[in-house]
Amino acid sequence: MSFKQENNYSDTFFWDQRRNKIVSSIGGWQGGKDVVSYGYSLMNELLGKKSYMQMIVLNITGRLIEENLAKWFEGNFIGMSYPDSRIWCNQVGALCGSSRTTVVTATVAGILAADSRAYGGSQTSLLGMTFIQSALKEFKKHASIEKIISRTKFKNEKPVIVGYARPVAKDDERIKPHENMTKKLGFNVGEHLSLAYAISDYLEQKYALKMNIGGYTSAFLSDQNFTPEEVYQIKALVVSSGVTACYIESKNSPPDSFLPLRCNDVLYTGKAQRSLPKTD
Amino acid sequence: MTVKANNENQQFQESASTEIWNETPSDKNPYIAKQCYLHGYDIMELTKSRSFIDVLFLLFQSELPSPDQARILETLMVACINPGPRHPATRAAMNAGVSKANHEHILPIGLMTLGGAYNGASEVELAIDFLTKNNQKKPNKLGTELLKDKKKLQGDWHIAPGFGSYYGDINLMANELVVVLMQLPGTGPHLKWGASFVSSISEHANLGWLHTGVVAAVLADLGFGAREAAGLFQLISAPGILAHGLEQNHKPIYAMPLLEDKDYVVQARK
Repeated sequence: MSFKQENNYSDTFFWDQRRNKIVSSIGGWQGGKDVVSYGYSLMNELLGKKSYMQMIVLNITGRLIEENLAKWFEGNFIGMSYPDSRIWCNQVGALCGSSRTTVVTATVAGILAADSRAYGGSQTSLLGMTFIQSALKEFKKHASIEKIISRTKFKNEKPVIVGYARPVAKDDERIKPHENMTKKLGFNVGEHLSLAYAISDYLEQKYALKMNIGGYTSAFLSDQNFTPEEVYQIKALVVSSGVTACYIESKNSPPDSFLPLRCNDVLYTGKAQRSLPKTD
Repeated sequence: MTVKANNENQQFQESASTEIWNETPSDKNPYIAKQCYLHGYDIMELTKSRSFIDVLFLLFQSELPSPDQARILETLMVACINPGPRHPATRAAMNAGVSKANHEHILPIGLMTLGGAYNGASEVELAIDFLTKNNQKKPNKLGTELLKDKKKLQGDWHIAPGFGSYYGDINLMANELVVVLMQLPGTGPHLKWGASFVSSISEHANLGWLHTGVVAAVLADLGFGAREAAGLFQLISAPGILAHGLEQNHKPIYAMPLLEDKDYVVQARK
């Protein structure tokens, strides 16, 4: 078996086809006339007629979602907009403010910091949805919840599942308002969310762990037929508002005044002072 | 006061700690350092007798490099100083530059683009994992196994992180760099294993070293971890990315192409 070229010239047809040319299946700007996204006219069908959240989901998935689902997303984004500069991504925003970066730098840096497997709502949705969608497939093949949990990663004899243990506080103040919003907007509890509640009950009884907002939203959005990758993309900006708020507060304070550190406030645990070895 | 963590066995620390840097406060102001020590060495003493490469190595490894290690790292850093104006990371910086983004944004934009899993920093991390996981295996056997997995792909095929084709062919510059590195004293086992692996796969396909694989192998041989290697790849590529971005920034906005409508084809659907 050989993939090696038979002649003296390499086959570059794939790349040559794409030189100086863009082919888009999503859309684009029609100079001076309109802009199209997945076949929808930005100027005539979307602007002023659909919400920004509907536009975000359309640009990412090609789906023009219903108003109630867009409102649900908007509520979820509100629930992730904590203007508290102790939170890691927000602290990045505040440090940017204290250093007098631009607002865009601060917001981008904060979003990037929240692209984390530990918190932040974007990458954690990818992980949480991957778990609950895989768990439902197993459950439908008659695997018990105990069996499903036993196959997950364990640390200190407890399962480590994104969506079922909040890093800071055990009770997640966001779940109840989300449940109320889900009901108010006319959504039922689907099969992913139903399983998520059952998993949460099991984990609470056996490991003192509970579902957090990541687990709830992962299950709800799985019931709305989104893939984990799509929700990761939709929620890329989910913490941005909180980051920007923390940047602004810090930027409006004197420079370098955000959580100042004395030399000794950072604990040194390394090598003792030493002399440089002599060089030739 | 710090917040108690979720797990009863864990608690957020009262202060950050570091093994890298120690500052001695001035006598009259606790916020001002009067001396700084890097892994125990006075930074001002380091400025007098050590190169940037030595201090960079010290920063991550807590010890100064041997002359052979310093030479290998310097060779790698010179060779990788510029991904070139066709690399997506450099192009991102050039686009930002020519379109008048703030000057301080140009390098971060390029480095973020260089973070990718395809010819980027994430691939370097994966390549170290691949090399450390497999370097006890016979490279010929592994190469033969992986070649069986060839799927019908459009574009290039990375048979393993850090190894593959580049525009359908062998990346000549990356492979030439390995030749240069292999001639240096102190070349380590990851680079040697990688060279054997490349010999086995290049016999059957237009596959070879990619720059990400070379950087991974050299940094692994020098004792850098996978996470460190990802960031170091960005660091050593930074000068070229910045230079190209700023070069375009000095030019008018129309100094780079913006495709005409006829070259932007929308495949309409609804």
